[in-house]
Amino acid sequence: MSDTDFQSVITPPPADQLVLETRNLNFYYGTHQSLFGVSMPVKRNGITALIGPSGCGKSTLLRTMNRIYDLYPGQRAEGEILVDGENILGPKVDLTSLRARVGMVFQKPTPFPMSIYDNVAFGVKLYHKKSKSQMDEVVEKALRRAALWDEVKDKLTKSGLSLSGGQQQRLCVARGIAVEPEILLLDEPASALDPISTAKLEDTLEELKRDLTIIIVTHNLQQAARLSDYTGFMYLGKMVEYGPTEELFVKPKVERTSDYIGGRFG
Amino acid sequence: MSLQSARHPDPVDPIFRGLAFAAATTLLLTLGGLIVALMIGGWPAISKFGFGFLTSSTWNPVTEVYGAAGPIVGTLITAVLSLAIALPIAVCVSVFLTQYCPKAIAQPVSTAIELLAGIPSIVYGMWGLFVFAPWFARTVQLPILTSLDPESFWGKLLAGVPNGANIFTASIVLAIMILPYMSAVFRELFRSIPPQVREAAFGLGCTSYEVVGSVLIPYVKKGMIGVVMLGFGRALGETMAVTFIIGNSHRFPDSLFASGSTLASTIANEFNEASGVHLASLIALGLVLFLITFTVLAIARALLSSQRY
Repeated sequence: MSDTDFQSVITPPPADQLVLETRNLNFYYGTHQSLFGVSMPVKRNGITALIGPSGCGKSTLLRTMNRIYDLYPGQRAEGEILVDGENILGPKVDLTSLRARVGMVFQKPTPFPMSIYDNVAFGVKLYHKKSKSQMDEVVEKALRRAALWDEVKDKLTKSGLSLSGGQQQRLCVARGIAVEPEILLLDEPASALDPISTAKLEDTLEELKRDLTIIIVTHNLQQAARLSDYTGFMYLGKMVEYGPTEELFVKPKVERTSDYIGGRFG
Repeated sequence: MSLQSARHPDPVDPIFRGLAFAAATTLLLTLGGLIVALMIGGWPAISKFGFGFLTSSTWNPVTEVYGAAGPIVGTLITAVLSLAIALPIAVCVSVFLTQYCPKAIAQPVSTAIELLAGIPSIVYGMWGLFVFAPWFARTVQLPILTSLDPESFWGKLLAGVPNGANIFTASIVLAIMILPYMSAVFRELFRSIPPQVREAAFGLGCTSYEVVGSVLIPYVKKGMIGVVMLGFGRALGETMAVTFIIGNSHRFPDSLFASGSTLASTIANEFNEASGVHLASLIALGLVLFLITFTVLAIARALLSSQRY
């Protein structure tokens, strides 16, 4: 393997538009290192996609951004992750408020065992005391933004688990955005969904990106190409190429990127 | 010859089906036979005392008058009390083991809990009678007795001979007995929650307490009801340990620290010497215990199927 195999070409967004940036990030599961010096500057608002073969570290990278890995002893990150200029890997970071600013939606829908309404209100209740009518507004707004309102407005008291898989996933998006985060992380959110539900979810993300930064991990290249403004291609724990989606898909600068996009490996 | 015709007719299949059917039928027949036997055996008592058998608290082998109210109430009180003591502890233990505790410690602690569940009930009974009851009488009952006004509410609730053999100590021993069983099943329940649900709750910015209380426990609520009812069923029928420590008095229990009896302990105590109506009354106690346990399980079923989430 030659050195050029591990070249990393980063085309960052304009510096004044950054909302989040990882700098030289290493990540370890115990003694096993799974991210190697990853640098990734993320543009405010819009959608940034992470692609790469299974096990390349894209989900791991995503899970550093709200420090959810902290739940598991033995997992640790080194380097810097700046959110609005503040390093969230620092020791004094308040994880609760970090996670209010950086929300997350998972591969499988994770509705809580409560009504649709309570699912959406759940996160909001943690931070604000709201009257019933205020909460009604918040819930309706979040469900509308997640493009779920019309489908559930007549059954808000029904269990969140009674919805279809695609609806559950949009419910989780609604729950995530109800607390009005700056950034929403999505870890292969459509991999358990059928094509129609996937299309609806994508429409939802298109709507949301106007005033929200979305970072999405996907193994669906078309989805990344369709949705995102910036794309990062990862391989073996390294960021191989990062830049505007059009450039990366049409004129990749690294041979490995074009091989992957062209379907020659992966 | 095609492959299919080589397999048909399969001689093993009808035999297997017959065996499965026979096993299920035998079980039902045994259950039915048990009920019939209890009814026939208890009939002399039921026909003599009628409904009063359930409501009278007189249990007098000399005058041959028997009423089950004392043991019935004793059974229910000890079962409810032991459940009230064991349930919160079992939840806390299982939450700690699955959510907070490092894996290296969780495994030995879990094994220790399972060992507790394996101790024979007579050992708990002897420990209760020879160790726990005297200690309880000395350090808890006596100070309370001497410091409380016997006419006050608390004085009446906690009145009793300070020998440690009473309904309360029996309930504690019962709680210790059902605790390992309940914690073990709760632990499995919490383990069955997908890790993403927990991550999703933490991802919203929940504290550990909020994750456990608002998401994880509701997530396994249905299973918990089942476990609670099974624990309750165990507490209802537990015999030897309770017989050792409850004091075995047939009067209607009027305070927590009064000696009492349960259906099972009464049967165990008196079966040897009973004959005639006395024996029939004991068998009728067995029938009552059977009906109570059956009711509890039926309620558990109903609760389980009515759960929305």
